[in-house]
Amino acid sequence: MNKRAYNLAYFLKESKTLFKIDFLSNIFSIISIGLILFILSLVLLGWRVSSYVIQIVEREGEINVYYDLSLQEKDINYLMEDIEKIEGVSSTSLVSQDEAYNRMAEILGKEAGILELFDENPFTPFIEVKIHIEEVDSILDELESMLGIDYIRDNKNIIDRLQNILIILKVLGVLALVAIGVSTLIVVSHIIRQGIYNNRDQINTLELLGAPDIFIGFPFILEGVFLTLLGGVIAFILLKLVLGLGYSKFFTALPFLPLPAEESLLIPIGIFILLLSGLLGIIGSLFGLAKDNEKA
Amino acid sequence: MIVAKDVSLTYQDGTQALKDVNLRIKAGEIIYITGPSGSGKTSLLKLILGMEYPTEGHLRVMGQSMVKDEEDNIRKLRRKIGPVFQEFKLIRGRTAFENIVLGMRFLDFTPKEIIENSYMALERVGLKHKRDSLVDKLSWGESQRVAIARAIARKPSLILADEPTGNLDLDNALNIMDILTSLRDENTTVIITTHATHLIEDKEEGTFIRIQEGRLKMERRGVEAYE
Ligand SMILES: Nc1ncnc2c1ncn2[C@@H]1O[C@H](COP(=O)(O)OP(=O)(O)OP(=O)(O)O)[C@@H](O)[C@H]1O
Ligand SMILES: [Mg+2]
Repeated sequence: MNKRAYNLAYFLKESKTLFKIDFLSNIFSIISIGLILFILSLVLLGWRVSSYVIQIVEREGEINVYYDLSLQEKDINYLMEDIEKIEGVSSTSLVSQDEAYNRMAEILGKEAGILELFDENPFTPFIEVKIHIEEVDSILDELESMLGIDYIRDNKNIIDRLQNILIILKVLGVLALVAIGVSTLIVVSHIIRQGIYNNRDQINTLELLGAPDIFIGFPFILEGVFLTLLGGVIAFILLKLVLGLGYSKFFTALPFLPLPAEESLLIPIGIFILLLSGLLGIIGSLFGLAKDNEKA
Repeated sequence: MIVAKDVSLTYQDGTQALKDVNLRIKAGEIIYITGPSGSGKTSLLKLILGMEYPTEGHLRVMGQSMVKDEEDNIRKLRRKIGPVFQEFKLIRGRTAFENIVLGMRFLDFTPKEIIENSYMALERVGLKHKRDSLVDKLSWGESQRVAIARAIARKPSLILADEPTGNLDLDNALNIMDILTSLRDENTTVIITTHATHLIEDKEEGTFIRIQEGRLKMERRGVEAYE
């Protein structure tokens, strides 16, 4: 047998022993690490969903121009040509009253019955203007100076609001990441300290026999990583439950809200949480061990 | 191997355990240290193992200067030493065999050598049958022999045995003395402390050090004296 494998078996057994010595506090630590990582994953979830929505909305970059209903078809065509000349506009198309109705019916899906409550088609025709979103401000300025336009509906407002939410979520995300990182480190290094204290005789003896610090410390590092990884797994399971629940409810309640596929949220966030938990475990145990060295 | 020049050790509470110790031990020597309880035998071994540092004078062990700044190197030096502590310092919750194995895992042995050496050492101290007993359950004498087995399995260049026969009946004590004495060769230095002067009275060879209130008196038998 290879010496590394031989010692690894020992290290694993040692960390199992360490885990058992302080069983209850280890279990509580795992649960609390799991919960704080779960909170982090929720913030990350919000972050990802809103940036996804912004992307979709931005890509759609379109403005609806409601023209004066008294305009003749010829005038409408002129108007469309004028709009197309504006810099940043890629195309225009006319959406008739019937088409507007059909679109809404499609969005509402099962709920389309509502539309039958109206005696006549409640929608008005409009010109759909596809634009490059970066130039939305100058385009709006130009449109406002044109004649024959009643009302302009742009999604700039929505984008702005989403972008504000995203900034908040990003700040929250970073804060959460720092807070969670720090508290995980504290929990882990405390547990490791406790383990070192419980094993001080053994550690002292190994030192007297000349064992290197890495040999003495490795089981503690394993224990720390084990704690945080289990916490990460708990966070992952909770995230999966919440996502499953959220998706089944959201899709029926808000069918037109663009949401990324469930897996495209779960997998990257899950991997991130697990990697982060492993990393925090290593750093936390090193902290726990380092403090010991100073005191010795 | 070991050179002490005007070494004194005063503990933090002011107890002066060793005074002006001058000592020169060559590789391959066997040294018996006797002296009444509290005379400083353990303290001298502690200095050699780097558990304490001289408060005065200079001490070198296998070329390593024993000062606090050299902690990391002293840790490495300890890998060449087989210590038998007066209070054993076995690792609780583990079997006799595991204790011996654990003393070797971080040394330059292959897993096969580790296992073989451990078996051989246990056999040598007459504890093969206690291989899988938890050390917590062993008698004092048995624990002492496990501690000795752990030290000799490491195949160290220097054995530091503090009262290795303190808890043994005469037969076992003689046996352990024989084992420790037989370990000495050109490459292995053996230092043994003991109260039991009767166990060493008839030894024909070796350096005999008597400590009295922290001061050393030396006598060499069978080897040329150099002091
Ligand atoms: N850590 C310590 N702090 C203070 N005094 C100590 C310490 N260790 C030992 N002493 C004192 O130093 C003196 C020498 O102790 P030491 O343990 O070296 O004696 P010893 O010869 O090994 O005795 P014994 O035969 O009983 O084992 C004693 O007076 C003891 O009380
Ligand atoms: Mg003593």
